[in-house]
Amino acid sequence: MNLKVVKNLSFALFFLYFFLVSIKLLEKGIKTLGAEYTDQLFESVSNPFAGLLVGILCTVLVQSSSVTTSTIVGLVGSGVLSLEYAIPMVMGANIGTTVTNTLVSFGHVRREQEFKRAFAASTMHDFFNVIVVIILFPLDLITGFITKMAEDGTEFILATGFTATKPDSPIKNAIKWGSNNILDGLNAVPFIGNLNENSYRVYAVILIVIAIGCIFLSLRNVVKNMKSLMLNQIEMGLDRALAKGGGLLAILIGILITFSVQSSSITTSILVPIVGSGILSIENAFPITLGANIGTTITAVLASFAVDNSAGLTIALHHVFFNAIGVAIIYPIQFIRNIPVNLAKSLAVVTAKRRYVAILYVLVTFLLLPLLGVVLFN
Amino acid sequence: MSKNSLDNIDAKLSEMLTNSTRVFDISMNALLGDTNLDSVRDDLYDTDKAINELHREVRREMIIHSAVNSRSLDIPLLLSYMTMSKDIERIGDYCKNLFEIAETGNTFAKGDDLDSYIELRNDIGKLIVYLQSCIALDDESKVQDLITLGSSISTDIDKRITALLENKEKIQYPVATTLFFRYLKRIVSHIVNAATALIMPTDQIDYLDE
Repeated sequence: MNLKVVKNLSFALFFLYFFLVSIKLLEKGIKTLGAEYTDQLFESVSNPFAGLLVGILCTVLVQSSSVTTSTIVGLVGSGVLSLEYAIPMVMGANIGTTVTNTLVSFGHVRREQEFKRAFAASTMHDFFNVIVVIILFPLDLITGFITKMAEDGTEFILATGFTATKPDSPIKNAIKWGSNNILDGLNAVPFIGNLNENSYRVYAVILIVIAIGCIFLSLRNVVKNMKSLMLNQIEMGLDRALAKGGGLLAILIGILITFSVQSSSITTSILVPIVGSGILSIENAFPITLGANIGTTITAVLASFAVDNSAGLTIALHHVFFNAIGVAIIYPIQFIRNIPVNLAKSLAVVTAKRRYVAILYVLVTFLLLPLLGVVLFN
Repeated sequence: MSKNSLDNIDAKLSEMLTNSTRVFDISMNALLGDTNLDSVRDDLYDTDKAINELHREVRREMIIHSAVNSRSLDIPLLLSYMTMSKDIERIGDYCKNLFEIAETGNTFAKGDDLDSYIELRNDIGKLIVYLQSCIALDDESKVQDLITLGSSISTDIDKRITALLENKEKIQYPVATTLFFRYLKRIVSHIVNAATALIMPTDQIDYLDE
């Protein structure tokens, strides 16, 4: 192991720990705010459709579904956000995260054919997620079958006595130690210490803002260091996917790359220039994207280790099952598999001819429609 | 630590050169020896196809490397790989042209100049192998030696072409011989150009004499 590997690995582990501590801080901040206040705060997402759109907006804003889903896990873990409200928000995060690679495709805007391929490669992820939400969102809302699966999964994991889920596990104790030290450090600052004693709500808001900032910062650094560490493996994986030309191996490669860098946007954004250049077909890039969709769910599972309430694990598992079931519905039958790919290709034909349509698409899909929806549903 | 993708590109360039040596030997033996052309034709064309496929693989490897390392990209290095792979790929094409001279019934196997042609074949063959070691060793002085050697062979070939154009030599196959030297000169130029890509600034690659 050379020095660079040791450095990247150490930083990645440190920031992963810092990420879990940040989730714990968020949980503490929310609890400090008090139930009556948080109930009011989350009233806006009591409508599931509004929750879905809030999930999209938040993710577009922070450009990371991992930040959104981890924050949601923290909120669910602290008991202020119920599973019922959290589920649509996580689904929204799935859609919102696709904006990143769509923006990456704009780098190819100068050459029509290249942009057409790049834009289709990015938007097939959008179409896939939207179609899966259209199918599974109402189905889960009515039958609750994914929620039931997630609850059963939580019970099963708790029954196995997996260390990270135990209240007094070394992992949980280490996270508590870290968050307590940060809290002590914050309280030692006279201004914040005074707020803690005299105005606990302002203190709680400051704590929540710091926690979300820390989640963002730590995840960014985990991704940065893991990507640096895994560059060769990512290239090798893509080489293999290229040689194999899609299929289950490509899904597995997508899962592994995303799992190792903790970001689906990294995986899908890497695919955009590769498809844009024409060396990987949109059809063969599709399973890698689906793999990325599954791989990204691990961040929420990790975040659930930091919270005390088992509902945190349930929402994380819901995210895993939702994304996996989505792939199971769309991928196996070619006719269905071609739907998101062909929709993306058709849109790309239009945007390649009229580039302003691409900008309109991003603005309308990821900002205007969700904003309008939130206003209407409230 | 796994193998770096840039090491993979180096390995593919080296494999392209191994194949180039093979097609060069086949085509030169077809002209200078008594090879049965039918027995080597498939080998020649298949090896050239393998060179072309390796060329495409180098390009693919570069795109993947660029996509994955978009924030810390060594663009001059990738441009030099692009030009090197193109130059190496062209060696195979000119070897095919040499083989086509033999296929049209021309042979230098019985001429008075056979010994000098064999010497030329050996020198150029060594040049290809030398380029292969330059890529592997990353030694600037070796590359300079290769460029000097290649330039001297090129000048020698030029003199022969000029002599042919001025009708100073009485030879059996004047057109075939002119083309023979012309193709050999192109092969040497592509070897030298590929070598310049290893050490020269990006804008100077291919423009050694300017």
